[in-house]
Formats: sequence, structure tokens, C-alpha cells
Amino acid sequence: MLDFILPLLGRFHPLLVHLPIGILIFGVLLIFLQKKGSTASNPVIRLAFLLGAISATLAGISGFFQYQFEGFAWDSVQNHLIAGVISAIGSFYLFTQIKDDTFFNFKIKLQVLFLFLVLTVTGHLGGNISRGEEYLLEVMPAGIQSLAGYEAAPEKPLEIPEQGWEELVFYGEVVQPILNQNCKSCHNPRNLKGEFNLTSFEELLKGGENGEVLKAGNPELSALFAKMILPLEDEDHMPPKEKRQPSKEEIELIKSWIAAGASKTNTLGQGGIEEKLLEPFFHKEEIPFYPLTEVAAVPADTLSKLRTAGFFAETVLQGSSWLKVSCINFADFTDKDWVLLKSVKDQIAYLDLNGTQVSEGILDSIASLTNLTVLKLNQTGISGNQLGTLATCKNLKMLYLNSTQLSLENLSAINQHPSLQKVFAFQTPAGKSKNPGKFSFELETGNYSLPKIPADTIVY
Amino acid sequence: MSSIEKLVFEFEMQKLQKQTRRHFLMDCVGKIGGLAMAPLLFGCEPGTNPAKPMSLNLSDRDLNPLSPLAPPFASKAKSIIYLHMAGSPSQLELFDFKPELVKNHNQPCPESLLEGRKFAFIRGVPNLLGPQANFAQHGESGAWVSDFLPHFAKVADEVSFLKAVHTDQFNHGPAQLFMQTGSARLGRPSLGSWVTYGLGTENQNLPGFVVLTSGGKTPDAGKSIWGSGFLPSVYQGVQCRSKGDPVLYLEDPSGMSRDLKKNLIEAINTVNQEEFNTYGDPEILARINQYEMAYRMQIEVPEVMNINDEPESIHQLYGTEPGVESFANNCLLARKLVEKGVRFVQLYDWGWDTHGTDHDGSIDKGLRNKCREIDRPISALLLDLKQRGLLEETLVVWGGEFGRTPMQENREGKTMGFLGRDHHVDAFTMWMAGGGIKRGASHGKTDDFGFQGIEDQVSVHDIHATILHVMGFDHEKFTHDFQGRPFRLTDVEGELIRKILA
Repeated sequence: MLDFILPLLGRFHPLLVHLPIGILIFGVLLIFLQKKGSTASNPVIRLAFLLGAISATLAGISGFFQYQFEGFAWDSVQNHLIAGVISAIGSFYLFTQIKDDTFFNFKIKLQVLFLFLVLTVTGHLGGNISRGEEYLLEVMPAGIQSLAGYEAAPEKPLEIPEQGWEELVFYGEVVQPILNQNCKSCHNPRNLKGEFNLTSFEELLKGGENGEVLKAGNPELSALFAKMILPLEDEDHMPPKEKRQPSKEEIELIKSWIAAGASKTNTLGQGGIEEKLLEPFFHKEEIPFYPLTEVAAVPADTLSKLRTAGFFAETVLQGSSWLKVSCINFADFTDKDWVLLKSVKDQIAYLDLNGTQVSEGILDSIASLTNLTVLKLNQTGISGNQLGTLATCKNLKMLYLNSTQLSLENLSAINQHPSLQKVFAFQTPAGKSKNPGKFSFELETGNYSLPKIPADTIVY
Repeated sequence: MSSIEKLVFEFEMQKLQKQTRRHFLMDCVGKIGGLAMAPLLFGCEPGTNPAKPMSLNLSDRDLNPLSPLAPPFASKAKSIIYLHMAGSPSQLELFDFKPELVKNHNQPCPESLLEGRKFAFIRGVPNLLGPQANFAQHGESGAWVSDFLPHFAKVADEVSFLKAVHTDQFNHGPAQLFMQTGSARLGRPSLGSWVTYGLGTENQNLPGFVVLTSGGKTPDAGKSIWGSGFLPSVYQGVQCRSKGDPVLYLEDPSGMSRDLKKNLIEAINTVNQEEFNTYGDPEILARINQYEMAYRMQIEVPEVMNINDEPESIHQLYGTEPGVESFANNCLLARKLVEKGVRFVQLYDWGWDTHGTDHDGSIDKGLRNKCREIDRPISALLLDLKQRGLLEETLVVWGGEFGRTPMQENREGKTMGFLGRDHHVDAFTMWMAGGGIKRGASHGKTDDFGFQGIEDQVSVHDIHATILHVMGFDHEKFTHDFQGRPFRLTDVEGELIRKILA
């Protein structure tokens, strides 16, 4: 009948631990604050160490019960417990050492400091258990975090191969990674919020303080799923609203897993999952269009200078350093105006000089743009005899030379360019030649026609 | 109501009855005075210094609402050409080949399909109407295209078909609104407005969102399908005339030199600037901006809207005839506008509503004539964009506002003089091509009669989500605050059609 006494005492551990901390620190402070040659505070100091020792013992006992009844792993509490015991014994020892007429010499001060250190370590280890090891690091600046080897998002997002996904184990390879990413930080053996641990299938089945969280075949009655679809403001919504929220696709997968019977061993194929649900997680080898190297972003005032000069200038996407520069409203652009672009030559990834007054010489300047990916020189006086200089643009992928004097021989100069994928040569001498030959890149010469057919004129 | 509540209520009522005009004025002396005092002490915004004039927090964007912005995500396309066939073409005569429908031609439509459904005009049990076109597979992708579109069949490899699109509006106006603004009710911004609002436009001498119409009439839903809804009105579509001057009064009157015009506009803008300095109303800045834009447009618009100078080969490709209003001319203009950095070009072609009420509205004749009018131009547009490298950066969308029934229309239960099909919302075909879209793909499947989608159905919201995606937006994050809540083009729906993305 009195079975509850010990677990209840265990639950008082978080309260009791603060007594020895407060009392002992008070004693330690008095030792260091006492004037040299005075023993006036000694009775108080003795009392402090006695009370500290007693409360430390009580805290230790309650802590032991908490460990016994609340399912903490020995590994996680081991050091905390040892340090706690040392603190208690240390306080008793110091209590016996200090008499009313003791002068505090260097040796005893060192012992006191040692006790203080052990006490601090005990408290810190205890905090690690209750709050999680990352409790303090979480709020630190990123620099300190990385120094401590702490990473903000240790769990990888779920990824599913596009081929052969049917063979993946639904629970182990899909559901568990989602739980790991979204729920584990609060529901693991060290940090048992709601006495719920979801780091393994068996633990998940056990449920938490409110009972089972899974009802196979019925997601709506399974707390695991039901709490995730509560409104964000709802007190019971999981994960708590200030934490990272799972995506709706992830929630959908958990729902279908429960609906399919919440089995541990079934594969995705056996769970009867539609491919559509998995698509968002398919791993895609996407090669970014723009270079991977990093350059400093263009300062805002440089950008506005370019715009005032008449250029269209904007980053290719928000937050990127790569710049798109176009002369769409700057048709008077000549080779001389190149100086305006010199300050951003590392950032220009997309350069549109269509319809400008540039001459052949501009290609020498363009060759200095090492990150250039798209170059448009349509409707310019370029014949392309300097085209070979573009070999230094190691990232150039698209080259537009429509309506220029580009000849086939000049085009050959950039054959075998390492990155060039496509060249447009519509309405050029090169494009008009009957047999332009093979190049390392795709050559678009256009000149499409739709021959007249009878249907063009038949009126029904 | 408990007795105590009754007493309190009665007391309040009596108190109110004894209130007179004088009480009211008396209250005003103290309280209105207090109200007037507050801004004197603290300014309109508490915490700001009343001694300083209210600072206008105007960004570059407020001053230049159409200035270009970088997209939030990597974009595949920078411009859109949207070809809307107003009235809605029949998917069953163009792309969705149904051999079962051929076999069941003139058979009564199975009751199971009709159960619980409403049609715009069909009443009772109509007969099934077999396809009136001959189908064949074309290109490497093996796309089904009928002989109504012989030229398009040759470029079918360039596009991604969506064969099971569905909508929820079966009347033209609401359905067009839904297709263009994401809502069947008035008041939402159109797709083109959203895109220009989000990205601005590259060419500052041209409008960002241009609308061209052909087919003799404008769409039933009126101008709201290119309206800006609750977005600032500068983002609404600019309709250019398809015949004569593209924009009226753009040319200076004879005798007025460009310099004189410039002086005029500068003088007006100086006055407006002073007005702005006094009142700080951003609308004045918008007006200054519009004057400048109009002045700049005078040079560029006549140039870009003039198709006379295009080479003969291009005219032959599109089948264009300068000087007349035609879909072909509009297609060529669309290419020219996109080439000149216009963000969104919307084409409406009217005359696709083939109910079978007359010759022009018949499936076997009128529809064929309409197809002839667009077949060469749309194919030419795709080829022309391709040869200029513009297709890499331009998204082309083709479709109507809904589809047409597999059943022959029997208006008011009577047999009609011509073959026709009623409005159909459950399944119809659209296609997309260009930047960010797979070539030669076909997504979605309809049942044996082409009545309903049975695989990979997509909604209008899904199409919007996909269009926004290739332009570099997450449709769920691209919002505008209005009436106390953020609004999206896709409202609370829309899923990316991943399978047609390149």
C-alpha cells in the first residue's frame, strides 16, 4: 500500500538537490570571506557543512530511488551518482576537520575548493540528465557550438531511393528516420518527456505516461499520429510549436504506416504505399546549374551603381552571390563600358549583351569571367574569331550567338570546351551551312519550317 | 437569465434612456480632447519623435514596383507564355484518344456516369459521341495527336501533356476565373499578376504582364482574369490591341517633338515630386513612375509590337498576316515580347465553345476550323522559341478552362442539328512546354470514355503550384497579406506535379 512512498521520494530529488548546493556554497563563501586570523564565523561554517552533508545524503538517497523507479539507464547516471556520493562524504569530512578555533590554511582551502568543484560537476551532470546534454550549447553562438562539436541538426532528413523502394522496411527505414529527426530529441532514454521513448519499435509499442500511442490500422486513434495533426496552438500538439515541425509528407507517411497495420517488419511494398507519397523523399542527384565555388556577395551599393548605369543586375536567386547582368535597357553598351562591370567580374554568372554595340574585342574581357555560365551575344557584330579565348570560362554552359556573323571555322575554336553544353547559332553563316559537323556541345542552328500542307487552307 | 442579470440589464437600459445629447457633448469635451492630445504628444505612432516628420519607409520596390527581383528559389523559366483557348476545346478530338468511345458511338451514356452529376446543358440520358478526328501517335514520345492538329503533331515531343486535369466550375466565366486566378469568385490576382508581383520585369521600357486577345471576342469572365485583385494595380495585365495601334495614343501628336514631350513630363513630375514631399503619399510616386514608363514605352512598344519587319521565313512559319487580328500574329508577338524581357504574356483565343448549336460550334467542322487557326501558330511558336534558345527560359502553357463531355450535347433533351459536346469538368487535357518541363512526357490517364481521370489527376491548383515552381517560387510560401490573413495563389491546396518537371 505504501509502494508509492519510494517513487515519490525519488521525485523529490530535483527539489532536494538544491539544498546541499545552496548550503555548501554558503559555507565555502564564508571560509573565503572570513578575515585572516579570525575564527568568528567558524560555528556557522561548521553548521553549514553539517547541514550540507545531511541534505547531500538525502539528495543522494532520493536520487537513487529516482534512478530505480524512473527507468534511467545506469550509464547515464553513473558519473552523477559517484560525484554526488563524493560531495556528501566530502562535506562530512570537512565538517569533522573544521573546529571552532580552526584557522583556514592553504591546505584546508584547497580541500574546500575541491569539494566546490565536485559539487559543480555533480550539478552539471545532473542537469545533463534532466535537460539533455545540449541544453546550454543550444543557446550558444554558432562558433562556440561548432568548437564544442555540437551540430544543430544531427539527424539526417529521410531519403528514399527512386528504384527499389518497395523493398525498404517501412518501419525501420522510413518511419524511424522520421521519428529520429522530429521527435527523438525529447523522447529518448536520456530525456524521457512524457515517459515516452521512441528510439525503437519495442519502446514505441510501450507508449508513454498516457498509455499506448499506436492503434494498428487506425491512425486517428493513435496518439503518435493524432497529436501531430492537432492545431499548432493546441497544448497537446506534438512536436511542441517552438520545435522543428515535421513536413506534411512525413506525417502522411506515418499515417499510412499506422493504417497499414504498424508492422515492424513489413516493407513499403507490403504496406501498399503509393509511389506518390514517397516522391518528395526521392534522392535526386541534381547538379546545380551555377558554379559550386563560393564568392563574396556583391554589396548592395555596387548593385545599385550597376542599375544606375543602366544594367539589369540581380542575383540569380535570393541569397545567392551569382549575378545576372543584362543590357536589355542598355543597348548603347560598347566595349568601353566594360569597366563598369569589372568590380563584379567574379560574380557574373549570367551575362546578356544581346543587341549591344560590342565588338570582337569584348570576348577578351569576357574571358576574365571565370564563373560565367550563360553568355548571350545575340544580334551583335561578333564574328567569333576570338571565340577561343572563352576557354578560360571554365563554367560556361550556354552560349547564344544568334544573328551574328559567326562562321563555322570560328565555332570550331571552342569545340572540346570542357563545360559548354549548348550553342545557339540561328541566323548565322555557321547556322546556314548544310553540314555543320559534330561538336562536343549541342549546336542549335534553327531554321525550322512547317511546310505547307492542304489542311492549312481547307475550310470546313 | 437569472433575476440578478435581469436587474442589471434593466438598470443599464434605464441609464441609457436618460442619456441626452448634452451628456454626449459633455463626454466629447473630455474624451475627444484626449484623443486629439495623443498624437500631439506622441505622434501617430507611439514612441516616434513628434518633432521629426514621419519617416516614409519606402523601399526601392515602392518607388519602382516593376523593378526585377531575384526569385526565392532556383528558377528554370524567366518568362511565361500562356495560351488560353477561351470556350474550351474538346480534348476528345485533339489529344485524348478513346477507342472505346469509337465503339460505343451513339450508344446511350451508362447511367453510372451520370448519377448525381449536373451538366451545363445536357439533360436526361445523352448518347455517347465517338471522336470526330483520326488519331495517331507521333514523335519519339508516341504522343497521341489527332489530324485536327497536323503541324502540332510534329512538335509533340517538345511538350508534357496533362491528360487528367479537373476543375470544379462548369460555366465559362467562373471556370476562367478559377483557371487564371485560382478562385471562381472575383477579387483574386491573376497568375500573371502574382508572377510580376513576385519577380518584377526585366525590361523597364515595357509592361511586365501583357495580354493579347484574338477570335473576335474577349473571354466571358472579362478583364478580371488579368486583373491584379488585391495586389497593387500596377501588376495587372496590360491589354494590347491586336489590330491597329497596340496601345492607343502612344504616338505623339503631329507637331509635338520628343523633346517637348520630355519637358512636359519632367515638369509634371517635378510638381508631383513637390506634392510627394509635402504629403508623402506613395501613390504619387506610383504616378511619377507611370509617366516615366509611358515615356519610355513610346520608343519600345511600337518597335516590339510591329511584326512587319520580321523576315518572310518567320511569317511563313507562323502564318502571320500583318494588319489583321489573328492568333498567329499574337503568337509571333508573344515571342517578340518574351525576347524583349516581358515577364508574362497571356494570349486568349475566343471561339472554342463547341456545343453543336451551329456550324461554327460543331465538333466536326467549327472546331476543325479553330484548330486550323492555331495549329500552325502554336507549332511555330514552339519551334521559334526553340531555335532562339528562348524555350530554355520560357514556360509555355496551353489549355482551356475545362474540357468537353464524351456525350453528345442534347440541349433541353432535344437532338441537335450539329455534333457538339457540353462543358466537362472531370477530365480534360492541357500541356506545358519549355523551361523546367520534361520533353515528351504524358501525365495522367482517363477512363475508357474519357469521362474521368483514373490516374495522376491534377487540379487547377496543382497546375498553378507547378507554374510557380518553375518560376522559382514555393507556392505555399508566396503570399500577400490582405484582410488580415496571408493569401496564396493556390489558397490551401495545390501539389507540385513533379513527374513533368525536367
